[in-house]
Amino acid sequence: MSGFLRSGDEKIAITFASQEAHVLMNLTEQIIELLSEEDGGTHLSKEHTVDDLMRMVGISTNDAPPIDPVLLRLLPNAYKDVEKAAEFRRYTEHGLREKKRANAVLIREALLPQDEDWDNDSPLDVAHITCVIEGDDVMAWLSAMNDIRLALAVRLDIGGERDAKPQHEKYELMVESDPMKAVYAVYSWIGWLQESLLKLL
Amino acid sequence: MGTLTEEETKSDLRADRPWVTVVWDDPVNLMSYVAHIFILLFGFSKEKATELMMKVHVEGKAVVSSGTREEMELDVQRLHEYGLWATLQRDDEI
Repeated sequence: MSGFLRSGDEKIAITFASQEAHVLMNLTEQIIELLSEEDGGTHLSKEHTVDDLMRMVGISTNDAPPIDPVLLRLLPNAYKDVEKAAEFRRYTEHGLREKKRANAVLIREALLPQDEDWDNDSPLDVAHITCVIEGDDVMAWLSAMNDIRLALAVRLDIGGERDAKPQHEKYELMVESDPMKAVYAVYSWIGWLQESLLKLL
Repeated sequence: MGTLTEEETKSDLRADRPWVTVVWDDPVNLMSYVAHIFILLFGFSKEKATELMMKVHVEGKAVVSSGTREEMELDVQRLHEYGLWATLQRDDEI
């Protein structure tokens, strides 16, 4: 396991073991799917008919907040006032989804096999994938990793309480065989990756 | 993007900076990440960004910018892009 490292003056590089790359790719794919507009049932509103013309200009006819708590955390209300929040959402949610999706797609594409080195059948300790990041892509990586952590945190119920500390302790004390412990480990790993990238900026 | 009613437009003229952007505490976002986003979006010094981040963390929320309603909607939008939990409101509603 290694973090982000400087690679020359302008570039940043990270090398993932294939298992790590698979985990990260899987998570970005889930985020991409979650943010896609073809999600019918995720909004409270029963009206799912989206005017194509309005969508073309980035306006949604659906202004209800998402039902899925993960989506609601990724696409939060901008106003406490319900009506103002709905109006804001109608004009901005589409753009926010697209931006977050684009960030996740960027990571996913960076993790895709670039050459013959990548082989799903090769032993996990042999195959590695190195991603080189520069310019605006650095913030896209940071932001996409943050979205993954926000999504995992909702599933882990971190942040459900005002004081998150007991939640962290709960997962640390969990038996190794508990699947939620593995989810928590991934959540911690992405946080560690984020921190290692922030240290270079 | 909000459409101002005549009443709102009038009250906007009364004060120069009647709207504020509030960032709310969130146990998920890393402290270093939040401070970095403040520097990136608002051009704060590292000290100012860290101070504001700590205010959010300790007090549960902090005002990070003020201006017109349109300006604050843009700030909230940009904060949401980076996953920070932000809302806008009139500054007298704080």
